Amino acid sequence: MRGIQPAFASANQNAPVPLAAVGPRLIAIGGGKGGVGKTFVTTNVALTLARMGHRVVAVDADLDGANLHTCLGVPSPEVSLADFVAGRMSEPEKLLVQTREPNLQIIAGTHSNLNQPQPGQTRRVELLRGLRRLAADFVLIDLGAGSQPAALDYFLVADEGLLVMRPEPTSVENAYSFLRAAFYRRLRLAARGHGVRELVDQAMDQRNERGIRTPYDLMREIEAVDPVEGRRFIQTMRAFSPRVVVNEARTAADIKLGFAVVSVCEKFFGFKADYLGYVNYQDEARESVAARKPLCDYMAESEAATYLSRISNKLAEGRVNESTRSGMPR
Amino acid sequence: MRPLGEANHYETLEISEDASLEEVDKAYRVLREAYETESLALYSVFSDGDASVMRDNIEEAYRVLSSFALRAEYDAGRVGTNKKETPFDRDPMASEETQGSHLAPLGSAPSRDQEIEEPEDGRWDGAALRRARDHVGLELEDIAEITKVGIRILRQIEEDAFEELPATVYVRGFVTSYARTVGIDPGRVVSTYIQRLEESRSDQGRSGFLGRR
Repeated sequence: MRGIQPAFASANQNAPVPLAAVGPRLIAIGGGKGGVGKTFVTTNVALTLARMGHRVVAVDADLDGANLHTCLGVPSPEVSLADFVAGRMSEPEKLLVQTREPNLQIIAGTHSNLNQPQPGQTRRVELLRGLRRLAADFVLIDLGAGSQPAALDYFLVADEGLLVMRPEPTSVENAYSFLRAAFYRRLRLAARGHGVRELVDQAMDQRNERGIRTPYDLMREIEAVDPVEGRRFIQTMRAFSPRVVVNEARTAADIKLGFAVVSVCEKFFGFKADYLGYVNYQDEARESVAARKPLCDYMAESEAATYLSRISNKLAEGRVNESTRSGMPR
Repeated sequence: MRPLGEANHYETLEISEDASLEEVDKAYRVLREAYETESLALYSVFSDGDASVMRDNIEEAYRVLSSFALRAEYDAGRVGTNKKETPFDRDPMASEETQGSHLAPLGSAPSRDQEIEEPEDGRWDGAALRRARDHVGLELEDIAEITKVGIRILRQIEEDAFEELPATVYVRGFVTSYARTVGIDPGRVVSTYIQRLEESRSDQGRSGFLGRR
């Protein structure tokens, strides 16, 4: 099964890796459904990476329901992403707010314009460019609920896309909706020919008249229209590789959900996902939110904190591989 | 990357074409659970019909790829379909002593119409298993290598050395692996073999032997 292992490599704590000028690694944390633990995962992974010696920025892109700052114990910040969206501030580094943890800064999502919280496409591109220029090793983007274009774009542009889900039908359903939306958006952005773009548009309507039900069906239609474009699309599909995190796992079956979702991604959608890991259910996780501290701080010895650390280690390993593979800014 | 129903057995089990038997087993166990009727992961994506097709595909892929003989036959049938050489392409019959013998040529395996001979009374014993093994040209060492069952145990199975074999529950697993490897349906073999074993042990029990169960 392509070496998918939720049993993680041994911890590599206290071993900061010299990260050359490759720019920060962007990690987007999404999942479609609200309340599955995106902010919980983001804050704990951010804190763990920071304590490993990495410079970390956590961005709250959940402008409709910002609370990343609260989970990290930062009082309502003066500046936020909303200032960037509204054009009051043009440089993301000026939005940085220091947390109690020396290596960890945030860009909060507070004070958004209720009328139009999410940035338009041009502003999104500027934001992503700005985030890539930050003097950090990791930039974690907490996407919030839903599959709006901004969340999909961050997920697609990031170096890693984490899909957080809970073992329950509503969460699984929304996670698939999110993946489907992100995937088709990626295909649409990759489409060059007008005819092909039209096909992707039709596929995005799940009740389309052509009977395009899965990406496979779409690929066949595209190949019929334009074989060259069809081959290029297959490459685009292969490059899409979300990483699954199962949160609040209580049983062995919950843990296995990650493997099953990875298989469904391959068999139904046609892309290779990866099971990054799971976090077991723990009452203290809720207590930590009430205490406005990440669990890894509130109860560092808890089992869930251990699993979160392991996930962080895996992400850090990816960062090291990246820095040894390429010395070029991305 | 193929639509449902068009994937080959390796794609169905999501393994490489040189996957070991252990990897085949592992992949099968994961997928069997992933696609079981109540699997949460299927929710909102696979229809009941699609899921049922997937389950059938997985079972069939496992039936073929978990058997040395069936896998070799399957691979041979896929020649020219961009398949890579796998350890299963190496024919165990290619040893010097069998060169030029009546046995099938390199790279092939008994076809389905060259059925393995069933015992007349339908009850499998060690001798029948051995005949089946000879039929596909496997040495006992090959079976041991593939199944990871010790050669001593395999020999005891073939010799019906019931008193020396371990507890029934283990023997059941060993015979299942043996049968799969030589390409016989374990369902046809295991129950009758175990029945023989238990009869023998209960006879011994009546004569004062404390049989292991």
